Amino acid sequence: MNSALEKHLNILDYALSALWRHRLKNGGIVVVFAAVIFLVASFQLVTTALTETAGKVLAVTPEITIQRMSAGRQEAIPLAYAEKLHDIFGIRAVVPRVWGYYFDEVRGANYTVLGVSADMPQADELSRAVVGGVMGSGGQGKVVVGRAVSQALQLQPGQLFSLFRPNLSLKAMTVAGIFRPETDLLTADLIAMPLVEARDLFLIPASKATDLCVYISNPAEIGTIAEKISKLLPDTRVLTRPQIQKTYQVVFGWRSGFASVCLLAALAAFAILAWDKASGLSPEERREIAILKILGWETADVLAMRFWEGGLVAGLAFLLGCTLAYLHVVFFGASLFRPVLVGWSVLHPALSLAPHVTLKEVLLLLAFTVVPYLAVTVVPAWRAASVPAESALSG
Amino acid sequence: MLIELDSVSKIYNQGQPNEVRALSEVSLAIPPQTMVCLKGPSGSGKSTLLSIIGCIFAPTSGRATIAGKALARLPDRFLTVHRRATIGFIFQRFNILPALSVVDNITLPLLPLGISPKVRRERAVILMDQLAIRHREHFPAGQVSGGELQRVAIARALVNDPPIILADEPTAHLDSRLSSEFMQIMADLKHAGKTIVITSHDPLVTEHPAIDRVVGVKDGRIDVP
Repeated sequence: MNSALEKHLNILDYALSALWRHRLKNGGIVVVFAAVIFLVASFQLVTTALTETAGKVLAVTPEITIQRMSAGRQEAIPLAYAEKLHDIFGIRAVVPRVWGYYFDEVRGANYTVLGVSADMPQADELSRAVVGGVMGSGGQGKVVVGRAVSQALQLQPGQLFSLFRPNLSLKAMTVAGIFRPETDLLTADLIAMPLVEARDLFLIPASKATDLCVYISNPAEIGTIAEKISKLLPDTRVLTRPQIQKTYQVVFGWRSGFASVCLLAALAAFAILAWDKASGLSPEERREIAILKILGWETADVLAMRFWEGGLVAGLAFLLGCTLAYLHVVFFGASLFRPVLVGWSVLHPALSLAPHVTLKEVLLLLAFTVVPYLAVTVVPAWRAASVPAESALSG
Repeated sequence: MLIELDSVSKIYNQGQPNEVRALSEVSLAIPPQTMVCLKGPSGSGKSTLLSIIGCIFAPTSGRATIAGKALARLPDRFLTVHRRATIGFIFQRFNILPALSVVDNITLPLLPLGISPKVRRERAVILMDQLAIRHREHFPAGQVSGGELQRVAIARALVNDPPIILADEPTAHLDSRLSSEFMQIMADLKHAGKTIVITSHDPLVTEHPAIDRVVGVKDGRIDVP
């Protein structure tokens, strides 16, 4: 074997034995550092998972949503507006949608009610998101509920329940199915039903809808078509799918960023601790380094040994922290951070988070945790390596 | 001459208020296969002289040639390389790392040389057999007796097979039996071809028959009686 490589293996071997000799002190540092990495990595994984989940769910939403605005507030849009759009080339379909919020006073929870048209191009995909049955075309009072709603109201497929109309008369409905857990982020508090049922629940006239969903043949034309719609219907707000996706990213990014700033404080505190530990050479350590140097170890060898020690501590803490973070996010649904990242509503989405971890993210985490640790230990390591060899002599 | 010092001076913190002249114009020549004792009180400059002979640092002025190399011309890094090939050290209290095993202590000088664990152990085993400490091979050094500890220190000094052995006050904390035992091992090493320099003011060392020459050091100069 190459003697330079053998030399480094020897120094690594010595560094490992040194770590073991001071196992209590080093073990403590690994535990604290791993805890900090666990927090940072958990946030990063949760943010990634949420953004991915939102992206998947939003992929089946309409390319353009049109809402009528009056005095800065949204109001029902006449179905006649849809007819004005027929001349715009590239529009595949315009489908009315009715939605609103239903406040459950008993449980203090808000449910989102969504009325969808059977003409909606992605009706099949909606059906695939449902477990237990199909919604039907309307008139039979069949609805699909999110998992949080089913838990709050203790509903199972086939079960009958009632909601109040604005005039306080009761509307009876039957649960046709429950949304799949993968769609929790957007469906947890959702009651989806045929358009006519939603109109009936909110007492919206048949000539109106809450908004219009516009489906485009070529996604590259979303911006152009949205612009044409804005000009054609000046009293409306035109929302595109990319805009909504961006909003989600900004919201998760802001929350994650806020939390990251808080965690950076923890990381900084740990860096100070690491500096303190690495710079405080005990008389025993000074003596050991002086002996090594007088026995023929160069300053670079001692420096390499200190780097191996720091690298092994940081590497072990990194692996431990990342593994715990992955288990925390995937198997425990990031239970420590959910209130921060998924909102403060009464009905929390019971997210099943399965983040797709990329090399870039791992390297980013490494750069924010291990690199600062090694950086703060460079100067103390140099100081340690500069202990004069003659201090091992009697004087 | 294996060790040759010509008008060697050493000044610490030169040009600063805390300047200390540790050695002044010291000249000394030590031929191979001899045993020399540097004798003098504490603070006389013995350890500085030993540090220059041991290639730990170069003199401030004068010429020091150790095993054919002039120290003043060698940068620090090469001093280290020359030291580990030429010098074996035995320290006061032996400076053994108590948490390491006996064999790990002995092989410490071999680690930066890129020598494999197998070869390291083979070399250590030969020395442990010669010094009768093989049975303590895997014992933590902190748990062996004083006599065994001095033999561990001697084995460590010999593991690189250096031509020069330097011992810094080796008997300062030993009883007379262990001191005699130590000097006997040094005598054997001298007969085996090693050149040995010992700093001490212990009569058991200075008056030992194997000592070829006692060099007095006082106030940083060679003390001529």
